Amino acid sequence: MLLDALSRDALPAPHPLVGEATSRAGQHARPPAGRGLSVTVQDLHKSFDGHTVIAGLDLYLPPGGFTAIVGRSGCGKSTLLRTILGLERPTAGRVNVEAPTAASPRAVAPRRIMFQEPRLLPWASVLDNVAVGLTGIGTRSERRDRAAAALAEVGLADKAGQWPATLSGGQRQRVALARALVSGPGLLALDEPLGALDALTRIGMQDLIERIWRSQGFTALLVTHDVSEAVALADRILVMEGGGVALDLRVDVPRPRRRGEPELARLEGRILDHLLGTQPAA
Amino acid sequence: MSRALTLSRLRDTATPWLLPAAILVGWQAAVSAVFVSNRVMPAPLDVVRAGWEAGRTGELWTNLGVSTLRALAGFAVGGSIGFALGLANGLSRLSEALTDTSVQMVRNVPHLSLIPLVILWFGIGEEAKLFLVALGVFFPIYANTLHGIRSVDPALVEMGRVYGMSRADLFRRVVLPGALPSIFVGLRYALGIMWLTLIVAETISASSGLGYMAMQAREFMLVDVVVLAILIYAALGKLADTLTRALERSCLSWNPAYRSA
Repeated sequence: MLLDALSRDALPAPHPLVGEATSRAGQHARPPAGRGLSVTVQDLHKSFDGHTVIAGLDLYLPPGGFTAIVGRSGCGKSTLLRTILGLERPTAGRVNVEAPTAASPRAVAPRRIMFQEPRLLPWASVLDNVAVGLTGIGTRSERRDRAAAALAEVGLADKAGQWPATLSGGQRQRVALARALVSGPGLLALDEPLGALDALTRIGMQDLIERIWRSQGFTALLVTHDVSEAVALADRILVMEGGGVALDLRVDVPRPRRRGEPELARLEGRILDHLLGTQPAA
Repeated sequence: MSRALTLSRLRDTATPWLLPAAILVGWQAAVSAVFVSNRVMPAPLDVVRAGWEAGRTGELWTNLGVSTLRALAGFAVGGSIGFALGLANGLSRLSEALTDTSVQMVRNVPHLSLIPLVILWFGIGEEAKLFLVALGVFFPIYANTLHGIRSVDPALVEMGRVYGMSRADLFRRVVLPGALPSIFVGLRYALGIMWLTLIVAETISASSGLGYMAMQAREFMLVDVVVLAILIYAALGKLADTLTRALERSCLSWNPAYRSA
């Protein structure tokens, strides 16, 4: 849906020069079908000051999948995500994020991350904050047009000119989502992006993320504390423990998923049992 | 409705001036009733008359112009050096390691204590005033620029990096706007120090300017001119403050703390 909004037909082309620039960027925004990137992690080790967080982890994420990582605090799930995104350097091992078909490096869709906090620039308007996601891409007017389309996609078109300080927490996180998506990413990493939101806003955001993921086909990697969120969104769930993957579950429930479906509840129960069962005796 | 609004706006504008106006009236009354000798304190009307006289002969404007020029020149020199060094030390650990300790040592020397030395170096020429003002203005601008850059949210810087901002982009779009509130604090301090330094310097060693005008008047026992000079300082200080506030409001309108009502 965002893709449709971003296609060249949807963009106004006030004069021929801009029209041409738009069409080039349009290709960038719409890589060949299945632009999702694959992630390969081989024997990854990561430690901070001698304290081991990830120990010999292997992982393959196929392009276009939605994977959730759950685990107790300090299990290394955020570190794994940050390492995959290149925000942390592995102590040992390899992380490869690549396009499935050998495309030229310029055509590879970018990787994006959504943080726990919105991290909006307080001194830039909502629209300019979304345009940050297009840094180095296209002309200024084109960036504005695409940012406006992305804002409309998350339902905030009327907030374009406002300062972030005037928005609610949920709205800010939606702006951050628009910023992450505006460039048409091939990999979207979500680092507990909904942790600070109230229950109803959370569910709305989950639906929004799922809808956009289905229409855009990027590879999604969600780190969360909330097992029910993982079960509702992901088609694969990894439970992390002791610096490695303890449980690798497939979620074969068809979408759209209804909240409270028995199949989902069973799965959630199983994961929780595992997490709680491995808790050291107090 | 609109009339009520106008009235309330009028009240908001008038309230801060009530106290100065009351003091003025009381002062005039006290002197007129000879509670206070006009050798000690001239009546406000005498001060106005002195101002009118000095304005008519052009003496006031010449001195005001000379002082303003000195203040601005010193501010420009000291302010830009302080700003540049604050940026450099905020952005580069090496630059900070090299210079910050020295700056902190010099900072603890009251800059006005250098006046005898400055007179030895420059005599009572323009350089002396420029040097002192520049030195006084340097420290608050330096310290607040450095602090502003250091206190930029690292989470925002990381965000900028992830989104592929170049170093120049990062500076222009994240670091500088983030440091701006603190830089403005430094600016306001610096403006205060600018006038203070200049007046002291002109009072001690000058042949023109507002401070010189006041000292000259003291020699001839012209109390009204002395008081006139002091009131002009008050007005200039208020003017500088108002301008900075307006600048803050327009540059920091994103920040709820600075937004005009």
